[in-house]
Amino acid sequence: MEFVRRHRILLTSGSLLLVSLLLFSASLRSPTHRDPVGHLVLDALAPFQVVFSGLGRSVGGVWSGYIDLVGARRDNQRLYERVAGLESEVVRLGELERENARLAELLSLRGHLDGVVYGARVIARDPGPLSMTLTIDRGERDHVRRGMAVLSPEGVVGQVSEASHTAARVVLLTDHNSGIDAIVQRSRARGIVQGGTDGSCYMNYLSRDADVVVGDRVLTSGLDQVFPKGIVIGEVVDVSRRHRGLLQAAVVQPKAALDQLEEVLVVDATVQVVDPPA
Amino acid sequence: MRGAAVIGLVAGFGLLVQTTLFHALPFGVHPSPDILVIICVFLGLHRHTVGGALAAFVLGYLQDAVSGDTTGLNAFGMVVVYMLVYLTCRSLWVDNVVSKVVLVFLASLVKAVAVLAVSALFGAFDGEWAPALSGMLVNAAIAAALAPPVFALLSGVRLVEEREAR
Repeated sequence: MEFVRRHRILLTSGSLLLVSLLLFSASLRSPTHRDPVGHLVLDALAPFQVVFSGLGRSVGGVWSGYIDLVGARRDNQRLYERVAGLESEVVRLGELERENARLAELLSLRGHLDGVVYGARVIARDPGPLSMTLTIDRGERDHVRRGMAVLSPEGVVGQVSEASHTAARVVLLTDHNSGIDAIVQRSRARGIVQGGTDGSCYMNYLSRDADVVVGDRVLTSGLDQVFPKGIVIGEVVDVSRRHRGLLQAAVVQPKAALDQLEEVLVVDATVQVVDPPA
Repeated sequence: MRGAAVIGLVAGFGLLVQTTLFHALPFGVHPSPDILVIICVFLGLHRHTVGGALAAFVLGYLQDAVSGDTTGLNAFGMVVVYMLVYLTCRSLWVDNVVSKVVLVFLASLVKAVAVLAVSALFGAFDGEWAPALSGMLVNAAIAAALAPPVFALLSGVRLVEEREAR
């Protein structure tokens, strides 16, 4: 009893380590496992994340605007006051124009998809360096469910890994846990696009004699029942045959600018691509 | 009780900052420093109770709720950090700012390596270690730089508790 009292902290910590490992093992073994506490946390954080995310964008915008203006201010000091008012208007209109262009691209992509499609705004990014996920402002309330595909006008973004009532977490295609059944557009060679640890992704399980060269475009095959067939994933930037055996791998540069996403589309497996975008 | 509330508030604020603000930085790079690990180091230094260990677990669990698609991984990392800091400060004097900054840097690395090792052990990570480790060094350095203000915030907890004890 004295031993337990003296070492209660270490014993508690040891038990918590075991509990953590059990939780991790359970969540790995049953990918459909739903963590109710995690959902509550995600729901509770979502409104604050919206505010902080907006704050961050504003600070970023102000900073970028300042950097852009410093050089011009030196050269045009006398004209600055007259121009400043117009410039802020231009910045505001520029932001509106860019947002308009992004939304128009999303709408254009939506026009090529036959089925139920939801628009969503990115409200947070992954805090961990190992996993690459982001949070969107749509959840089960908006019919967004685990397993749905997430797209941008440029191409595939990732897959919904967790959906709470008001928000959902998206595993990006560059995350090492991500896997997408894919084909090379030119030669129809088939493989699996998986994330790496350095922000890029790889097309693995290509047969050794598959015809893949740098510059080839990689598309979703639709065989994984998650992503609609024919959506652009990225472009081959390197081909590696260093592995002995029957397989080769290709490094794929994602087409979607995953670091700069602000709006995305969420689609389910029944959606079909009609008249694929160029 | 007030102390626990302050720690909870700082943890919530830290989680929000690390999930949103760092990604909006306009410098072209997007670091992911682990702010919660600073709080965990504080717990390991000043909370030698069962509650302290439980709080470390809860910090990791909160992080699991917003990171990755598995549960328990960050909780494991946080408890490892708590245990190591607890054992370290039993034999080493860690009370000035520099030693705490160094401790946070090392704790951040230990947690990241522990998370990576457990992922690899369970077959959930089969990528290359080198790029992952270089990212960890940068994030650990940023976390260490953020440690003094976070510790200053949390030291308010100790003042409140000392006042309550009187």
